[in-house]
Amino acid sequence: MSAAENAKAVLRRLTAASATERILISFAALIMAVLVGAVIILVSGRITTCQTAATTLFGTGFCYDPVEVYLVLFNGALGEPFLLNDPALFNPDWNPLNFGFALTLKETTLLIFTGLSVAVSFRAGLFNIGTQGQLVLGGLATALFSFFVAPLLPSGLVGGLILIPLAVVIGALVGGLYGAIPGALKAYADANEVITTIMLNFIAAQIAFVLVSEFFGNPDSQVVETTPIPDWATLLPVAFPQGGDFSILALAFGLALVVAVWFLLEQTSFGYDLRTSGEQPEAAEYGGVDAKRTTVTSMFLSGALGGMGGAIWVLMVMGKWQAGVPALGFDGITVSILAGNNPFGVVPAALLFGTLKSGSLAVQFGTGVPKQLVGVLRGLIILFVAMPEFFRMLGSTIDLEPDRETVATDGGRLGGDDE
Amino acid sequence: MSTTTIDRLRDTELSYRATLAGGALSVFLLIALLGLAFPSSIWGNFLAILTSRSTLSSALRLSVPITFAALGGIFSEKAGVVNIGLEGLLIISAFTAVITTAVVGPEMTVVGLPAIWIGFFAGILSSVLFSALFAVVCIRFKADQIIAGLAVWLIALGLAPFAATVYYGGVNTDNLGTTLGTWTIPVLSDIPFFGAFFDADPAVYMMLVAVPASWYVLNRTAFGRHVRASGENPKALDTVGVDVSRVRYAGVLLSGFLAGIGGSALSLGLGQFVGNNQTMVNGKGFIAIVAYLFGNYNPIGAFGASFLFAGLEAAQIRLQQVPGYAIPDSLIQTIPYVTVLVILALVGRTRIPEAAGEHYDTGDDNR
Repeated sequence: MSAAENAKAVLRRLTAASATERILISFAALIMAVLVGAVIILVSGRITTCQTAATTLFGTGFCYDPVEVYLVLFNGALGEPFLLNDPALFNPDWNPLNFGFALTLKETTLLIFTGLSVAVSFRAGLFNIGTQGQLVLGGLATALFSFFVAPLLPSGLVGGLILIPLAVVIGALVGGLYGAIPGALKAYADANEVITTIMLNFIAAQIAFVLVSEFFGNPDSQVVETTPIPDWATLLPVAFPQGGDFSILALAFGLALVVAVWFLLEQTSFGYDLRTSGEQPEAAEYGGVDAKRTTVTSMFLSGALGGMGGAIWVLMVMGKWQAGVPALGFDGITVSILAGNNPFGVVPAALLFGTLKSGSLAVQFGTGVPKQLVGVLRGLIILFVAMPEFFRMLGSTIDLEPDRETVATDGGRLGGDDE
Repeated sequence: MSTTTIDRLRDTELSYRATLAGGALSVFLLIALLGLAFPSSIWGNFLAILTSRSTLSSALRLSVPITFAALGGIFSEKAGVVNIGLEGLLIISAFTAVITTAVVGPEMTVVGLPAIWIGFFAGILSSVLFSALFAVVCIRFKADQIIAGLAVWLIALGLAPFAATVYYGGVNTDNLGTTLGTWTIPVLSDIPFFGAFFDADPAVYMMLVAVPASWYVLNRTAFGRHVRASGENPKALDTVGVDVSRVRYAGVLLSGFLAGIGGSALSLGLGQFVGNNQTMVNGKGFIAIVAYLFGNYNPIGAFGASFLFAGLEAAQIRLQQVPGYAIPDSLIQTIPYVTVLVILALVGRTRIPEAAGEHYDTGDDNR
């Protein structure tokens, strides 16, 4: 009893002390990543060749202008509300329900799922890097389930109302079971979950490839993909343009899930066990938490969220499962870390990263800078969020921040600072 | 932990490893027996693959990046910094090696050094620089080592295809049209089967030197003692007047150097960098981590494990060429990853260095 009370007190202090600081650190990390990204853009502008220099600094011409790149990025992600290089500035033809913004919201929606998946595991002190694999298999299960069950149901709205929720549940179940494997390996064999989840990502990609190419492939297609699901069984775009592949229903579901995960983590005894195992493993043991069971359940939950992400990818974006699934699971790591592993933080973080992803297409089209730039930023953001001490030192040299206790990044290895 | 518990732990570990090694051996013997009994069956094919010289030579070649990354991981983790970013170091060095060679011009020679070797060293340098960044982030700025390691991996995973697209217009580089080639030792290379050891990539020879050299440095030199103390008991090291941070920097930089050799050798052995999906490195850095855990932080054991994984990979590639049975290639390709998973599950309870993953504060402010 008293141990549990102690743990509770520790937890309260930890979260209270770090909330503001975390937000500050996330912003600072973002700014640093953008600045380093600008340097990378400049340098790569020297590597590539172009007719006329986009910008000139210190008497040297560069092919890419970082300021322009970032402007094009945000402008593109919002569907060009601004006319760059035009005195009028605002675009009179701009409509908020545009293609570019639909792309941004599509990415945001998917990242909410993967971000939540990573956040749940990190809060439990488990580094689930396997959201990608859980998403791949969850998505495949959804695609196959929908394809085989659709003929048995009445087509149209009624069928969709029955089939879509079931298909999402199937995706979640498969993703969750696949996530429970590294959870069980961690709990009962002490196998490091970072490595097992990464290995399981490779295995998931291959298994899905074999299943589709050998057994469930679309016979009319040259690509490794399943036969498309009928339109009435997918999440069709409402209000937004057709090609944007964004359904507001999916976003609403994602946001509801954010609240549900927050409630589970913060308001239930299971969530309390999960967080304590992540932040104070010893205290959790003394408080009578079954560590092994919590590990497996947390990983199942995390995997289920990843699997749901796969389901939404299939139902909203593709209408089928196709090999070469985008790296949404890895992006989820960035989203979660940027959000301080807080479910509510996941929403702005996903929106921000969704903006980067969708804007990168406009950047590639408008300035020639490859869209892979987002991949670089993904890593840089994680790097900077991981070193709060850097910003604290920066802060103390210009004497803004008073001395504070070191706040460890959530998830495992906590208490590393006290020898 | 009392001595008896540690002893018991060591005993279990030993029996785990013995069981595994025994298991591998019995599988091999079973295949050999079945292969000899039914030479025309699939078992005959297996036996032929396992005992062919070309399998051995490709196993040696494939074990180079894994072994070097594993050696690097040992130095870093023994010094107290868990380096999960080995995969990133392999990616960045593999890419830099190729692009440098391409920029210099594959046919060029600078001060008597062929371009490909300049590329080789540039690859190592890039990996050392990356590991220096990782070291500063972890040691000076006290970042969580796992997250910083993931960042190193993801930065490299983004940067290499990005730079390749800037330069080549696609995530893969063009083929250089030249590779590191092979060094053949006359006479010895004529030995059947084992001749593969003497007719190999230059990097294979480097590996065969680096493994015992790493063992020697770690176990028989003052530096090796400091590295081990820095991971096990940094306070004691501090007390005798050795700068713990410095030892840790050295350990991490050394891991960058070694992983760099592995990455450069990987791409220059092919003459190209492939940047699709997980790039050509494809998890080798993570497999390396399992290899040294399996090898219990012993360079020779780590080499043995790397060679086992690479051997599975080599056999798997050859198995795809055997006609007449219906296992899809993609499924066979999972064999090495599944094996890694099983082994990790069995040796999961490896005793990691006491202070690995933890920051060490000297208490004085001149950090």
